[in-house]
Amino acid sequence: MQKIYVHPLPVRVWHWLNAIGFVSLILSGLQIRYVGLIDVVSFRTAVNLHNWIGFVLIANFFVWLGFYLFSDRIKAYHPELSPMKHFHGSIRQMQYYGYGIFKGDPNPHHVSIYRKFNPMQSMLYQIVMLLLVPIQFYTGILIWDVKRFSAQVDFFGGVRVVDTIHVLIFIFFVAFVLIHAYLGALGHTPSAHYKAMFSGYEELEDEEIQAQPAAGAGTQT
Amino acid sequence: MESLRRDGTNTRTALRTGFFITAIATLLLALPATTKHAWAQGTLSDADKTCLGCHGSAGLEKRLDNADTLSLHVDGETFAKSVHIAIGCASCHADVDLAKHPGDKKISGARDYSVASIQICRGCHDDKFKQYQGSIHASLVRDGNAAAPICTDCHSPHAVMSKAASDLKSVPCKNCHSAIFEAYVASTHGKARSRGVGSFAPLCSGCHTAHAIAAASADDTIKEACLGCHAGALDAHAQWLPNAGLHFEVVSCPACHAPNARRRVDLRFQDNTTPAQVPEQKGVPRFESHVRSAEAAGKGLDAVTLWTLLRTFNQDGAAGKTVLRGRLEVRTGIEAHQLTEKSKAISNCDTCHRQGSEAFQSVTVSVAGPDGRPIRFGASKDVLSSVFSIDSISGFYAIGGTRIHLLDIGLVLAILAGLGVPIIHMTWGWLFRRYLKRQGIVDHTKA
Repeated sequence: MQKIYVHPLPVRVWHWLNAIGFVSLILSGLQIRYVGLIDVVSFRTAVNLHNWIGFVLIANFFVWLGFYLFSDRIKAYHPELSPMKHFHGSIRQMQYYGYGIFKGDPNPHHVSIYRKFNPMQSMLYQIVMLLLVPIQFYTGILIWDVKRFSAQVDFFGGVRVVDTIHVLIFIFFVAFVLIHAYLGALGHTPSAHYKAMFSGYEELEDEEIQAQPAAGAGTQT
Repeated sequence: MESLRRDGTNTRTALRTGFFITAIATLLLALPATTKHAWAQGTLSDADKTCLGCHGSAGLEKRLDNADTLSLHVDGETFAKSVHIAIGCASCHADVDLAKHPGDKKISGARDYSVASIQICRGCHDDKFKQYQGSIHASLVRDGNAAAPICTDCHSPHAVMSKAASDLKSVPCKNCHSAIFEAYVASTHGKARSRGVGSFAPLCSGCHTAHAIAAASADDTIKEACLGCHAGALDAHAQWLPNAGLHFEVVSCPACHAPNARRRVDLRFQDNTTPAQVPEQKGVPRFESHVRSAEAAGKGLDAVTLWTLLRTFNQDGAAGKTVLRGRLEVRTGIEAHQLTEKSKAISNCDTCHRQGSEAFQSVTVSVAGPDGRPIRFGASKDVLSSVFSIDSISGFYAIGGTRIHLLDIGLVLAILAGLGVPIIHMTWGWLFRRYLKRQGIVDHTKA
């Protein structure tokens, strides 16, 4: 089976560190918010843990950003400038996940080095990585030391406003992480995408091999 | 050579300085002894002795117009020891004409006489008088409160001792604030003071000042007094307390350092441009109507009413923006003085940062009253966890303790979605494949 190198090492390191970090932030966040209902560690321990992991993930975010900014792999994040094309691609992808996948239809999206995301992923990941994650880090920093950043906290309307934004995005990420983990198991085998995220190589099915522009750098057989 | 000359000059200057210091020190050391000796002997002037010839008699008193009795007795020995011995009787009682004394002077009442006497004190103590005029005590006097203290209530004029209010026994505050004083005596400050070892432990005036006394909860004066002595407190707290600066801003010291006190959240209407609390006059008619309707319903202000109220404060081109500032404090002045040693202070974050915490069960809303003391109105505890609080109480939030319930529902829905989507998708897939099999349509995945 032909393989294609779609996940370079920095991306894989970032991804798994991010995955562990986000799960840890969600768990420590739940502990912070629901003392009494959840009492695994003390509030203070959870806050300190949450803060430290947050800062590690902020640094990790810049690993991701730096890699893509200084690599031609950034093409993977280039937006589809034609809304109709993007819309049709998204509809086809939804149809595939809605019933095509159960009929055994081929995935309408063919992975290549510079097009590793399907239209739905492409749109969602841009929103997540360029909007929600930065906002979450920013609001987290403001809450970390409210007095130090009091001018900015007041600008946004007060600590409760900032915290509410932080919690709303946290709620989104709770759903996102669960669904993301499930969608990751919808490759041609349940573990295919997981293996690829460790090895860097996505396995191509026959239809995908035919759809490749040309077998060149980054492909293995 | 120049340097030698300079050295010689420096030596002479040093000797001269040393001489003066020694002389001044000798004088200073000798002065108290001399003064004490003079008082012991009772250096009353002849004029004062003349006054005391009559007024030294125990039981001398005058019947006033309102049937009060004014004591005219002055203990000569005590007066001789007081700091006012230096000015003598006539300095304060300049209105007494010895040729006509005792005349038939009309005095309406003892209180009126004492209030009028404030002006006599002012003659020498104008700085203290000005401080007093701005105090809550003077404000109460102006409002006609007969129990509010004037100069002579705290300073017995014929027995004023230097630094008299510097020990527990002679503190005049306890005459009116006895319950608070008892709490203070039992506190870590009071214990240190009574042991004598902690001479730096504050008496009443150490925190409240002696004359410029304001309502304790009106502003941050008391907190600043705490930090005046405990200057390293913020840094010490920052070692273990996340967001220590924010805690210092919104949590009063006794809220943690009086661990047995009952706590409450006071939401203050404040002008955003100044730290001043919005005064009663500004919004009270509307405030009253809202509060009365809430009270009639048997509850305090609810979240929607509070939100509406805040909007009414900011209508009609108000000069500044009125905001609600939340503050976690103890409920009574007595509890505010029940300070313990720091090892017993609340340091467990879970005490407040949990839903249902005792700290958030009592909520008041306040505006500044005419004398500076807050006028409080009851509010429902739900105002702290309502979605409306995002706008109305945007500056007060305790994670966990005052979390917004609507967001909890959002989280539950997110978890249900996160688990539900895979389950529904898998179930849908299973049903779909079963359908295809029944219809005899080839399932590619099994091929």
